[in-house]
Amino acid sequence: MANEKETLIKIDEVGKWYEDVQALDGISMEIDRKDVVVICGPSGCGKSTLLRCINGLEEFEEGDVIVDGVSVREVRGTKNIYKLRSKIGMVFQHFELYPHLTALENVTLAPKKVFNMSKKEARQKGMELLERVGIPEQADQKPGELSGGQQQRVGIARAIAMDPQTIMFDEPTSALDPEMIRDVLEVMADLAKEGLTMIVVTHEMGFAKEVADEIAFMENGNIVEHNDVETFFKNPESERAKEFVDRVLVHI
Amino acid sequence: MKSRGQLPALHFDKMGYQFDWGVIIREPYWRWLLNGFIKTLILGSISWGIALFLGIIVGTIRTLPAKTARAIGKAYVEFFRNIPLLVQLFFWYYVIPPMIGQWFNRMESLPWIMAIFGLGVYTASRVAEHFRSGLNSVPKGQRQAGLSTGLSNWQLYRYIIIPYGFRLMIPPITTEFLTIFKNSALAMTIGVLELSGQSYKIGTWTFHSFESITAAVIGYLLIGLSIIGFMGWVEEKLKIPGLVGRG
Ligand SMILES: Nc1ncnc2c1ncn2[C@@H]1O[C@H](COP(=O)(O)OP(=O)(O)O)[C@@H](O)[C@H]1O
Ligand SMILES: [Mg+2]
Repeated sequence: MANEKETLIKIDEVGKWYEDVQALDGISMEIDRKDVVVICGPSGCGKSTLLRCINGLEEFEEGDVIVDGVSVREVRGTKNIYKLRSKIGMVFQHFELYPHLTALENVTLAPKKVFNMSKKEARQKGMELLERVGIPEQADQKPGELSGGQQQRVGIARAIAMDPQTIMFDEPTSALDPEMIRDVLEVMADLAKEGLTMIVVTHEMGFAKEVADEIAFMENGNIVEHNDVETFFKNPESERAKEFVDRVLVHI
Repeated sequence: MKSRGQLPALHFDKMGYQFDWGVIIREPYWRWLLNGFIKTLILGSISWGIALFLGIIVGTIRTLPAKTARAIGKAYVEFFRNIPLLVQLFFWYYVIPPMIGQWFNRMESLPWIMAIFGLGVYTASRVAEHFRSGLNSVPKGQRQAGLSTGLSNWQLYRYIIIPYGFRLMIPPITTEFLTIFKNSALAMTIGVLELSGQSYKIGTWTFHSFESITAAVIGYLLIGLSIIGFMGWVEEKLKIPGLVGRG
């Protein structure tokens, strides 16, 4: 039935080294279709690396990631990796917009080049996306002329321009001024309602409580605890998660 | 007390040197000068085209992950940039043509071909270095962003890394653009009568080198200032807002 949980992304004992630094230590995790999963944990514990392994931006030495039945290890180095990546949008802490292109061009570049979408069609689609994230007036401005919050919304529009089934956020609000954080979190909450699968690295526990289905707490390249939101906040199983929750809850 | 400016004039007077600025606008000399000027323009422009094209390729190769590709790029750059340009022109003009064959060696336009080729491949090695450092200055996140949307490696370079990197290297590229016209004067040593060659020739025919060389100076200045103006315009057009002073 429709309510059955179905695994979309399966991370299977992934190990990853940078030279002799171990960034991921045989990490395993399953993410269900249409779920919103928040990943948190101390700086340097491997959150960004994990996201980059999921869409094959980073090579890993051990294990595998299966995305919608496709093995990242198998398609790595072939053209099929492009297709896999286009089904997973990605939003970055520092936006990483293309500074030489306008907001609209940032959004339409991939649909134009990967799907061979016509200029007119791409423009129309791009404008729709910019409206969806609330900044259609900024379409013809370059990233350097936008505020941080506006830039991040362009970043989100770009990430969903390929109609991905999953979208990954890597600390999307930690480089933003406090007054802009809410705008961006609202856009993200809207996306969650529309049924996108979301993997969100963030320390915004308010967002996690309201929007997420599950939370995973990472440390030293591995998952310490992965639970539904309620259990995670009320009765965390691990001592480390408990300490973490106490610390961050003080801060909100 | 004598001012420094009077010294050459006195010296010239002693030798009986009479200025005759009319030389440079008289038949046939003005034609020679114009001809030289045009040749300099053509020589510089075509070899600049080659330098940009090859330089972008070699510079890009030097940033690829593949080790052999990088080694080939490095070999190219080290070879051309460590040998004096004059020696390279002699090499292309005197050494290579006889090895290719007499038909080639006897070609009338051989000095032209070899001057354009020599200037082009030499300057390409310098352009490549600027290009490489431009590409390497593009933040890593741009690559991740581009690839994450499903672009191929080629598309990533074509639409993001190269256009971005190119904007970062406009100032050093302007210098190379200027230098290729200055270096083009060396072509006279292998028999191309470009601007310097013609003005030198007029000097030997009329004993008025002072005037003819002044004409050449003005010609080079004209070219140089035009390039600076043009590149300033390009830089303004391609300007990345918010990146001023960072590149
Ligand atoms: N490109 C890299 N080169 C070398 N080491 C890296 C690189 N990226 C991350 N690391 C290391 O891998 C570990 C995990 O990093 P990261 O995934 O960025 O953690 P997080 O996102 O949780 O802060 C850290 O020890 C970090 O120093
Ligand atoms: Mg990180």
